[in-house]
Amino acid sequence: MDKNALIKIADQLVENIDDLPTIPVVATQVLQLLDQPDVQIEELADLMLSDQVMTARVMKMLNSPVYKPSHEITSLKRALVYLGLRHIREVALTTSFISAFEADSGAFDVTTFWEHSFGVGMVSKTIAVKVGYPDLEKAYISGIIHDLGVVFLSNFMRDGFQAVLENIKDRPINLADAEIQQFGTSHCEIGLSMARKWNFPDVYCEVIAYHHTPGEATIDPVLCAIVNLANLFCSVRGLDYGGREWVSFNLFDEPAWQILKKEYPRLAELDVERFCYELDDAIPDVQELVRSIFNSKE
Amino acid sequence: MSISDKDFEQLRDFIYNLCGMYFHSTKKYFLESRLTRRMEATGSKTHMEYYQLLKSIRGNEELKFLMDEITTNETYFFRNVPQLNALETKLLPEIVETKNKMGFRKLRIWSAASSSGEEAYTMAMILLEKRNTLLKDWIIEIIGTDINETVVAQAKEGVYNAYSVRNIPDLYKRKYIRESNGTFILAPEVKKFVTFNKLNLYDDSKMIFMKSFDFIFCANVLIYFDTASKSKVVQHFYNNLQPYGYFFVGQSESLHGVNDKFKTVHFPGGFTYKK
Repeated sequence: MDKNALIKIADQLVENIDDLPTIPVVATQVLQLLDQPDVQIEELADLMLSDQVMTARVMKMLNSPVYKPSHEITSLKRALVYLGLRHIREVALTTSFISAFEADSGAFDVTTFWEHSFGVGMVSKTIAVKVGYPDLEKAYISGIIHDLGVVFLSNFMRDGFQAVLENIKDRPINLADAEIQQFGTSHCEIGLSMARKWNFPDVYCEVIAYHHTPGEATIDPVLCAIVNLANLFCSVRGLDYGGREWVSFNLFDEPAWQILKKEYPRLAELDVERFCYELDDAIPDVQELVRSIFNSKE
Repeated sequence: MSISDKDFEQLRDFIYNLCGMYFHSTKKYFLESRLTRRMEATGSKTHMEYYQLLKSIRGNEELKFLMDEITTNETYFFRNVPQLNALETKLLPEIVETKNKMGFRKLRIWSAASSSGEEAYTMAMILLEKRNTLLKDWIIEIIGTDINETVVAQAKEGVYNAYSVRNIPDLYKRKYIRESNGTFILAPEVKKFVTFNKLNLYDDSKMIFMKSFDFIFCANVLIYFDTASKSKVVQHFYNNLQPYGYFFVGQSESLHGVNDKFKTVHFPGGFTYKK
């Protein structure tokens, strides 16, 4: 089906929801501040500190074993310096998104969702390190937000999404395909629609829209390919929405693998088997991170 | 003796690089207890002392003893569930479809280190269950081979203990297993699907005759081979497979650096090698 047609349906679906969560006030102010040319880190830090939940979550996201900073970041100002101005926007948006979708009212529990998302964030960053992709923060954040459309479907199209999940249980059917059958569009386009509403930067909108079809991306296909592979690996190694989707893939035939290998030939040397086994070992870290993020409400 | 994280990682990397078997963090205590036995046997006082022994000239021999400790009791029915799920959900239907198109309705499966037969018979039960559906009118051949004649004889007998059968799903257990005085006897209809023979995987003259398999299983055996032997044996497996066939190793094994022709196909909880 034509991508534009899918996007149109997604826009309508998102438009029809009256109580779509909005960005918290502080996040909106952070974003406005970031748009000013002479913005100072101190000013941003002061503003963000007025939202304790956001502050705690930013610190947890950056200090977890999943993300592995070289040394512990103990102040918000230091965290912002570490991230650099270019990534504060995404982190503010991401923590806002987490706050918007923390209630357990969806078709599946929200912890499972964020475990997958943070898992993909971690693995995206690991792949970025292994291949030499220059912007690790971007890879990490892209992984965390890639499935925003899924959380929308789970929360606002609960019954339909439940039917999708039943339909694909233990069958080798792609989630996005099953969603298109049910809704006429998939979590990729719905996520895109939401991300645009929330004014996410274009490169992140692209990851959300094309993380299953990185070959169609135009702004940063390599980033989309990284998130695509990370998503595939998480889906077969226990960070898989509790096994709701039965995923199987032939790694070397994946377009994402080809895109990455063309750009970074050293990918060919990756010990894929060990990579999988190490990923298994990292699962408890991801689960701990998600637990700590959701317990960080003061 | 409890093992420190650093020692564990060092030993894990050493074993992985030499044998191609990965120890997950969750297996730390298991490895610790097995190491304790080998450390007692070799008089090593610390993990590092034992690690030095493994790295020494005598290391190769000691590593085999360690692997024996680690793989003991690893044979039972329905052992590798993610692998079996992948086979039923995707790989088997895919091969059946390919062969149906060619009008070639015969399935050949090889359990290449069959030990007392649990793996081969597990496959027989699963395929038998599909006799009236997916595999209607198909010829099914399952071959089990092992270097050890004693276990080959046990496999042919088809009598098991409670440990071996503990993982068999009830559906299969009710149909194909009969209990008698604490032993578990396999139904003749399962047994007749499988042929067992003695075979040495090093024996090139025999290996070249193992032809046209759709699935080959070889779990926890290649870990005993050095890289050159591993490459040779795996190349045989590659040649022995149909062009669309699959090769399975054990749950924590890796063929990285052994053969660059196989492609990895991933599924929930595992992966397999595709020709």
